[in-house]
Amino acid sequence: MLSHAPGDTLGHRLDPRTKLAAQAAIAAVALARSTPAWLLALTLVCLVALRGCGLSVRAVYAEYRGVLPFLLVAPLVGALRFGPPWIEPAGVRDPLLAVYRTVLLLALAAAYVRTTSPRESRAAIARLVPGRAGRFLGLGVALVFRFLPLLRADLRRLREGSWVRLGDERRVDRRVVHLAVGALERAFRRADALALALRARCLSWNPTPPALSFARRDYAVLCLTGALIAAAVAW
Amino acid sequence: MSTDTGSVALVGDEVVENVVRAALFAALTGVFSYVSFQLPVSPVPYTLQVLGIFLAGVFLGPRWGAASLALYVVAGAVGAPVYAYGASGIGQLFSPWGGYLWSYPFAAGLLGYVAHGTDERTPTGEIALWRLAAGLTAATVVIYAFGTVGYAYFGDLALFADPVRALVSAALVTAVPFVPGEILKAVVAVLAARSERLRGA
Repeated sequence: MLSHAPGDTLGHRLDPRTKLAAQAAIAAVALARSTPAWLLALTLVCLVALRGCGLSVRAVYAEYRGVLPFLLVAPLVGALRFGPPWIEPAGVRDPLLAVYRTVLLLALAAAYVRTTSPRESRAAIARLVPGRAGRFLGLGVALVFRFLPLLRADLRRLREGSWVRLGDERRVDRRVVHLAVGALERAFRRADALALALRARCLSWNPTPPALSFARRDYAVLCLTGALIAAAVAW
Repeated sequence: MSTDTGSVALVGDEVVENVVRAALFAALTGVFSYVSFQLPVSPVPYTLQVLGIFLAGVFLGPRWGAASLALYVVAGAVGAPVYAYGASGIGQLFSPWGGYLWSYPFAAGLLGYVAHGTDERTPTGEIALWRLAAGLTAATVVIYAFGTVGYAYFGDLALFADPVRALVSAALVTAVPFVPGEILKAVVAVLAARSERLRGA
């Protein structure tokens, strides 16, 4: 599974806010201009972005290979008609372009995930979203990153405990209830302990935010992103 | 590095507990999205992701249930591997299945509102069965409505040119095969809400 890897590529050195803004802008352009010419231009942008983040096309393909069959259902559905002639080949074109657009956006997301640490993402959210909502989202995202592996291990232990007691021979609803209640019990226990610890450490709404700053390369990327949006509006 | 020298605004005790529970439920929903099971009535492998939404709405109430799922969506967008099958990234929100992700905070909020009857949380064991059933049904409808419209829109199935055909064909792919799994997850959510082991939660 693709995850953050430390490095010194251009992608690693960019501010996370720049990367989020560029992703959002490219997604907006791709949605608004899903023509072959525009998607070709965005493909070049994605290839440059992947190269700047030290990611190969092959690595991205390996990451998303599993979702491709789900994506390719859309063109088939697009060709379906509820009456003669039942199949309309012309209906495949737009969904196929949409699939290609999705693949481009997934590749960009992979570049972001590879080059941005959870800590940087948390800082970016806390600064992009103002006030207590930003603080809640920043703190919450950090806790999700922190507790995901712990809860996954809890669930694995539950399932293994169930398997060795021949739990997989029980009815599926009983299996799922056992899993859900056990997972909830553990999650509540962890939440209570963490809440106590946070209260003891005087959790506040206005802590000193983590350091983030724009460099010249960020302004350059933001200018290029602005130019892309301007071009999409103009043509 | 800037330092805030103003007075410290402490987070209230009850809010700390709710923030932490919201984060843990968001993580739990992410963990559930890795777990898949098979039902004999359908060839589709189901993940337990939607169970996380049901449980957040039932156990956290409308406000914090919705906040928890908003956290889930944001955490996944910035790279936490919490979306279905461990995926993440902003691109997922604009993919054909992005409609589901947009629906989750609304579904959890609506479920919490219908189940608890107010925008405050009532003890889970005291929620009437009919309220749970109505809330779970409403949440499922919201998830599938967003999911189907999202699939037709982000999959470019000519949603505006031929809306009926686009929505019906999208529903055939995104909703119909998943109904048996959703019924099972709703039953599990009711049983978890009635569980003696979670009485104090």
